[in-house]
Amino acid sequence: MPNVVDTQVANRRDSRVAMPDGEILLQQGGSGPPLLFLHGGGAGTWGRLQDLLASSFDVLAPVHPAFGASDEMEGVEGMDDLVYHYLDLLDRLELGRVALVGSSFGGWLAAELAVHSPQRFSELVLISPVGLRIPEHPLRDIFLMTPDERVEILFRHPERLPAPDPTDTDAILTNYKNMMALARFGWSPFMNNPKLERRLYRVTARTLVVAPAEDRLVPRAHDERYASRIAGARLIVVDDAAHVAEMETPEAIAAPILEFLTGGAR
Amino acid sequence: MKFNFFHLMPYPYLPDDFDERYSSMSLNYPNRYFDPGIGRELYHRYLDQLEWAEELGFDGLAVNEHHQTSYGLMPAPNIMAAALARRTSRAQIMVLGNAIPVRDNPLQVAEEIAMLDHLTDGRLVSGFVRGIGWEYFAHSVNPTRSSERFEEAHDLIIKAWTTDEPFAYVTRNYEYRYVSIWPRPLQQPHPPIVMAGGGTPETTRWAAKHRHLYMAVIAPTPSIKRWFDNYRRVAAEDGWEPGPDRFGWVTPCYVGETDRKAIDEAREPIEWYFNKSLRQPPGAGLPPGYISLDAMRASLASGQVRGAGRGATTIEELIAGGFIVVGSPDTVSERIAELSETLGFEHLGVNLTVGSIAESQARENIEAFAKEVMPRFRSAAEQESAQQGGEGT
Repeated sequence: MPNVVDTQVANRRDSRVAMPDGEILLQQGGSGPPLLFLHGGGAGTWGRLQDLLASSFDVLAPVHPAFGASDEMEGVEGMDDLVYHYLDLLDRLELGRVALVGSSFGGWLAAELAVHSPQRFSELVLISPVGLRIPEHPLRDIFLMTPDERVEILFRHPERLPAPDPTDTDAILTNYKNMMALARFGWSPFMNNPKLERRLYRVTARTLVVAPAEDRLVPRAHDERYASRIAGARLIVVDDAAHVAEMETPEAIAAPILEFLTGGAR
Repeated sequence: MKFNFFHLMPYPYLPDDFDERYSSMSLNYPNRYFDPGIGRELYHRYLDQLEWAEELGFDGLAVNEHHQTSYGLMPAPNIMAAALARRTSRAQIMVLGNAIPVRDNPLQVAEEIAMLDHLTDGRLVSGFVRGIGWEYFAHSVNPTRSSERFEEAHDLIIKAWTTDEPFAYVTRNYEYRYVSIWPRPLQQPHPPIVMAGGGTPETTRWAAKHRHLYMAVIAPTPSIKRWFDNYRRVAAEDGWEPGPDRFGWVTPCYVGETDRKAIDEAREPIEWYFNKSLRQPPGAGLPPGYISLDAMRASLASGQVRGAGRGATTIEELIAGGFIVVGSPDTVSERIAELSETLGFEHLGVNLTVGSIAESQARENIEAFAKEVMPRFRSAAEQESAQQGGEGT
């Protein structure tokens, strides 16, 4: 996996962490209180958003089991296994209580963690999270798209992306691996846990939901539902950002997230 | 050579603006284009053709499973086999096959096949398939579990047929606490098994491991050869040599008076079939996990990316590529003999009612194949016995 390590970020480092079913890649950087960042459906590579968060936090950006540079870890079968995987990881890193930020699929995972072990998360930030079953506002089917359509749906400015190289087999394989991983956890039920919504009352973290204004994958009703079911949650809409704001417009979402995380009483 | 009359039962009537409006006739193609009156007529027409094929001397009649598509109207192949069971008396009834990983309850497949074995007086051949990509969308089955569901469901079915004491069957994907099916199958230990597939390395390997008949579907000749060679290599590793009876090939086929006439007559239905009906819904061709990461890597390395859209093709290209057999009775017979020799298969499945073919044209094609091609592969005695039964049923 190519991974450009930004030397501007203090303590930027990668490590492999052995878990019961295989190894994951743990990316870390920055200094300050610990912040666990849970990536969306891609490879989970450290990027500009993590750089920005690392200015105020010790950012831990692990790659989920089965995704990107982490092992396939077949024993991690479903969302419940992922929750235990991350509780184990926090234990292993001796982190009692952290700020938790998740994007898209990672937002769903973050919400599940905050429901399961509310005492371990001081803040919760959900960026265009999936995970809720709202039949009247279905998600677009990320699996039933050509690569071109996927880019159109996910990005605000797909025309600015470099053209994909059809001969780059490593990229095709990485993408296939990530889609397989996403399908493992999110094919059926489709990107949701039907029980999650009625469990959200358990969340005690200060919560911010970040809705990119131009999200064409996740209808706004999902962001709003999270914000309305989690006590005291705030919802902000970020202009000129699409579903993959994490990658495409990191500056635009980093500012309100940092303001939320550093502004409130801890 | 065993000749199997293979039917897909397509619904061939598309709206005039189909090409502009729809990228595929599967999964999300609106079923308002299904006219119930025409549907009723098609089922009876197609079943009549299958029954008639027995009269004409085919060794087997093959039905199959496809979901949510105008390409084939058989979501429940066992129902079609049941419709044929008591209207035929000699030919094997091949269910080619049940898409067991797509089913919620594979034990019911074991029960249905056992019933069919009795209804057919032991003429049933039980095929299993993985199912096509879009069917994992249609039935909300996780494609990352496809391969293991297939294997676990297969093992359950065989065990249910061959165990005479109640047993429990618990695997990663299934939990059955009490299995003791009634009826048990008529054929002992169980009906013959066929694996029909498109060359996925894991499935070919799996078929070889179980010594099942492997029937390859539409692909260019070099691909079929690679799949069969893969089977033979696995068999060799296990210390046995599969004969031609372990291999089958399914192909669209058209027999005309001359090569020229055959090509002219078959052009429209064949090109309809390949250019319209085989088009997958965009993105659905290869759902994630349907093949493993290793198989994907191998597939990319061999330059063969599965699920990629195929551009429009012509009947000439299809003949040259070995996808189809079209021509005069001489040409068709020679081509089948040659491919059977090169690829080493004994079971041939012919789709003579291909694509948008008209009823009268289909009948001519079926008759020409049965009367002018099949007898060349049989002795007089074999031909006579193949035509006994079936009539007057």
